[in-house]
Amino acid sequence: MKKDIDIKSVAKLAAINLTETDEKKFEKDLNIILEHVDALSKMNIEDEEINIHPLGEILNLREDVSSEFLTHDEAMSNSPETEDGHFVVPPSLD
Amino acid sequence: MNVSNLSISEISNLYKNKELKPSEVYEEVFTNASLSESIIHAHLKLFQDEATEASKLSDERYEKGNPLSDIDGIPIAIKDNINLKNHETTCSSKMLSNYVSPYDATVIKKLRNNGVIFTGKTNLDEFAMGSSTENSAFGPTKNPWNPEHVPGGSSGGSAAVVSVGSAVASLGSDTGGSIRQPASFCGVVGFKPTYGTVSRYGLVAFASSLDQIGPITNSVEDAKILYNSIKGHDPLDATSIKESLVEIPTDKNAKVGVVKELMEEGISDESRKEVEKTIKLLKENGNKVVEVSLPLTKMALSIYYLIAPAECSANLSRFDGVRYGIREAGSTSYEMMENTRAEGFGEEVKKRILLGTYALSAGYYDAYYGQALKARSAITKDFENIFKEVDYLISPTTPTPAFKFGEKTENPLEMYMSDLCTIPANLAGIPAISIPTGLSKQDMPLSIQLMSPARTDSSLLEFSESIEKLLSFNQRTSLLEDMK
Repeated sequence: MKKDIDIKSVAKLAAINLTETDEKKFEKDLNIILEHVDALSKMNIEDEEINIHPLGEILNLREDVSSEFLTHDEAMSNSPETEDGHFVVPPSLD
Repeated sequence: MNVSNLSISEISNLYKNKELKPSEVYEEVFTNASLSESIIHAHLKLFQDEATEASKLSDERYEKGNPLSDIDGIPIAIKDNINLKNHETTCSSKMLSNYVSPYDATVIKKLRNNGVIFTGKTNLDEFAMGSSTENSAFGPTKNPWNPEHVPGGSSGGSAAVVSVGSAVASLGSDTGGSIRQPASFCGVVGFKPTYGTVSRYGLVAFASSLDQIGPITNSVEDAKILYNSIKGHDPLDATSIKESLVEIPTDKNAKVGVVKELMEEGISDESRKEVEKTIKLLKENGNKVVEVSLPLTKMALSIYYLIAPAECSANLSRFDGVRYGIREAGSTSYEMMENTRAEGFGEEVKKRILLGTYALSAGYYDAYYGQALKARSAITKDFENIFKEVDYLISPTTPTPAFKFGEKTENPLEMYMSDLCTIPANLAGIPAISIPTGLSKQDMPLSIQLMSPARTDSSLLEFSESIEKLLSFNQRTSLLEDMK
């Protein structure tokens, strides 16, 4: 399974700006890890189930009713930039 | 009085009998923190004013004979990835260096309602990713037994403060061993409960299907008291389970399995000998001890290093410079995010996000993440089958005692190997505890790990208490005495 990682495209997907030095270091480290985890591809586990909860429990969602948690101001209180109760971001298009 | 040598129940009884006050105990742990911090750097923040105030309020409650609980007035430190209202939660990351939590985690709310004194926030590997605290953006914590050695991680600060006596107990979080491994390295008790028994609401998520909050304490009894104070179903955490306690033998009828694969390659003689010493004591006590094989534990590291980074890459996508944390300039939103994440995250965090992004990307998802989830089910079944034969499993907590700074920072796999014995319990969601057993030739703490079936936490703690008595190891670090 193991294929060499295209670090530039993965960094783009992950939205992390990498320097060339970073790219080299991460490419090397990730290839070491991917080589190690490649052992999994040889396991004969096709019939195993996939559980999202480790104990196989069903996720218990609470009732969809509104209640007092955070106020609007509290929820926005850590944002780097807000205006009139909205988050402010740079333009999404060039 | 030296409170560092007292258990929570002893302190609580002295409070009730009016022989000791919470403010006196807080003063002592604060003095210990003030003395030791310049050497070990275990705290990111000490809450001196607030904690002094809280201790005086606790004094008054005992004075009136109305304590809120048996842990009222007990000073407890909190790992800095757990939210405490109106305090910073930095996760030891530059990304969250300016974040102030507007709410309490469920565990904090429970402890607050029980009257505990929050002493401060403790250091960790950035976003709980690491095994030595060397990945903290604010500098590493040093091991109180010897500052040339790491305290373990990621909850290194939480383990070090209990070890040195700057808190009576602490909370940590454990994704692949982050409570048990530092507890082992610092000579204290660390307990990872069954997944879902303690609410994760308000714990900054790293790998949601593996993360679990738990206590780090001086004794198993203390761990039991703290665990009972924080456990319970929480509607705010969809993965939280409704309690259905399962009991297994805790006396000499308890049957113990020694995990063959965790006693072989990669395990130091010193770590192995502690398990052998404990087995001998158990046999003398009348317990049956047999060797068992869990071959898939050899695959645990590979499974973990796909699932944890995959979940981490999804969880940490929320740090985008929009809603919280730092922001770096960019001409478009995406450029701003790329620059913010480049500046805000440290190397190990970036590495795991990149690995997880790759494992979840189109064309690789089934081969990597899907295969890892299936392998996780297989390993869980292996545990279920082995627990039909034995009640508990024993192994070393760590392959070696605490290593030195810089020793394992070159090759990522070398550092990851230090979680070899602890990761399987996270994958299977089962409870596991680290109990100190003795000292290495270099006078660094050694320990054993006990695991038991899901939902048998109370039995595991009770059985661990009896093993702790058999071991009768209660040596503490002399760091503070050496300084005085």
